[in-house]
Amino acid sequence: MDTVYILITGFLSVVLINNLVLTKFLGICPYLGVSGRIDMAFGMGLAVTFVMTLSGTLTWLIDHMVLMPLGLEVTRYVCFILVIASAVQLVEMYLRKFFPPLYDSFGIFLPLITTNCAILGLCLFLNLWGTDSLLEAVVLSVGGGIGFTMAICIMAGIRENLQMVDVPECLKGAPITLITAGILSLAFMGFAGII
Amino acid sequence: MTTNANEQTGNYTKTLLAGLWKENPVFRLLLGMCPTLAVTAAVQPALTMGLCVIFVLICSNIMVSLMRNMLKPHLRILMFTLTISTFVTIADLLLKAFVPAMSEKLGPYVPLIIVNCIIICRAEACASKNPVLMSIIDALGMGVGFTVTLCVLAGVRELIGTGKIFNIQVMPGSYVPWAALTMPVGAFLTLGFLLGLVNLISKKHS
Amino acid sequence: MRSIKHFFEQSWLLIIASFFFGLLIAVTNAALAPRIAWNATAKLNALAAGLLPEAEKFAPLDQTIDITAPGGKPQALQLYQGKTGGQPAGWIFIAVGSGFADKIELVVAVDAKFEKLAGFDVLSSNETPGFGDQIKYNYFRDQFKGAPAGALTLINAGEPATIDEKIVSISGATVSSTAVVRTISHYLTQVKEQMQQKGLIQP
Repeated sequence: MDTVYILITGFLSVVLINNLVLTKFLGICPYLGVSGRIDMAFGMGLAVTFVMTLSGTLTWLIDHMVLMPLGLEVTRYVCFILVIASAVQLVEMYLRKFFPPLYDSFGIFLPLITTNCAILGLCLFLNLWGTDSLLEAVVLSVGGGIGFTMAICIMAGIRENLQMVDVPECLKGAPITLITAGILSLAFMGFAGII
Repeated sequence: MTTNANEQTGNYTKTLLAGLWKENPVFRLLLGMCPTLAVTAAVQPALTMGLCVIFVLICSNIMVSLMRNMLKPHLRILMFTLTISTFVTIADLLLKAFVPAMSEKLGPYVPLIIVNCIIICRAEACASKNPVLMSIIDALGMGVGFTVTLCVLAGVRELIGTGKIFNIQVMPGSYVPWAALTMPVGAFLTLGFLLGLVNLISKKHS
Repeated sequence: MRSIKHFFEQSWLLIIASFFFGLLIAVTNAALAPRIAWNATAKLNALAAGLLPEAEKFAPLDQTIDITAPGGKPQALQLYQGKTGGQPAGWIFIAVGSGFADKIELVVAVDAKFEKLAGFDVLSSNETPGFGDQIKYNYFRDQFKGAPAGALTLINAGEPATIDEKIVSISGATVSSTAVVRTISHYLTQVKEQMQQKGLIQP
């Protein structure tokens, strides 16, 4: 029962209270770039969730099975980024060969995601938050991805409506998106302290 | 001979100044947004982050430029990533050893310099095609431009958000600080409005 | 054979660079690791000395105390005992809880008999400057000095000068004040019980 409680609070914490985009500022570049339309935003969100779960789990395993027992924590950053880059590369090749329709729907985002700070950021946060079980690492990674998807879809919905409004010339594009993100993060601040 | 040297110095100055305004990494190229929003709550962490980025940029540009003739095209991104992550690890160790308070404040955003698009883009666009001196100047230009941008943003947020700059009280005692500016809300809003301002100014000039 | 040669031709730079970079990181780490470790203990010792000024030194206990951290996870807590001339002067431990922005780490000091709090200090926190940050200020922290070492309650309005188990919260920083009180209470009740079980203090 305790494990379930820890998992549920951890999941809620990553999705709502410590949302990776709106409170930890991870993944802003794709957030600004791909949130123009809801279908693209959703595809990006799904791709990010998939890659995040995969990398979060892999890096947690490597961290706890190889780096910490051998005292190699100082090489953590190098190992993490190499693992993430190779995992994404392998996934892209695999998808392109065996699941072409799936590749067509979110494969174009995959190379973009490697340098997405959200992935490396989540792996580092998993380490910072002291996740000590594989199940918790998986749940938190999935939660991070779902939080990102939620934030980007909300933004896409708002931006689609913004196109019909008279935005001042100098604020068009990235500035108005950032201001909207600010108001969104203000709304999400209401979740602070509920756990 | 002299015209060639003059042209070279002209090139260097142009590259150096490009990072400050015309190709400002944050305001014009829209790169490296994550640390810009995260560490600019106060000027001191922003300055520390800027100096770290300058260090990593210069070192990785030098290394990539030295290796530029030996790089295999399909392995070059891997090489860049390896170089950058090594220097970021070293920068992180230096921070933890000599300024532990700042290292704690910056937290996980120092290793996130690895995926900061500025550094990989400069390695790809400039260092892998130019000799060492030009790469160093380009790194300096971009790095200083990034640091100045961070400090401007942090200055605005810290001054209006707490009434202090660098922990020195600047606003009068009766000033009620807008604490919201030190929180994520303030980060997004300040960057959005500053970006809009920069767009306005460059449109008026062009 | 040819494919191995081809492999080396393509990646010799990668292999040499990996060795070189690995060496660089190893050298830097070897040079800086002692200093980094010293930094971590120095901060704890400085804060602990401020809370228990009569203690000459702080020694970590050999055995750790098993408690449940506020998140629900089991934790092996390291206790530090302050000593003056061989006599116990107090106890120190680090309490971690989640505040408004991120987690809050507190250094909590209790007197030798574990009856009264000697106070707390903030080891690390990321609370809102000017609001949640005030948990570091003396007028909030002074309420804990001499409070009973057990469950504390947070009240919205009252007399901060009276030292009892009721703590007046900071106006405008309810979440941060609640986090501090809840974390300290959580740790104090559990640590006291465990220490009594282990015979480190008298019930």
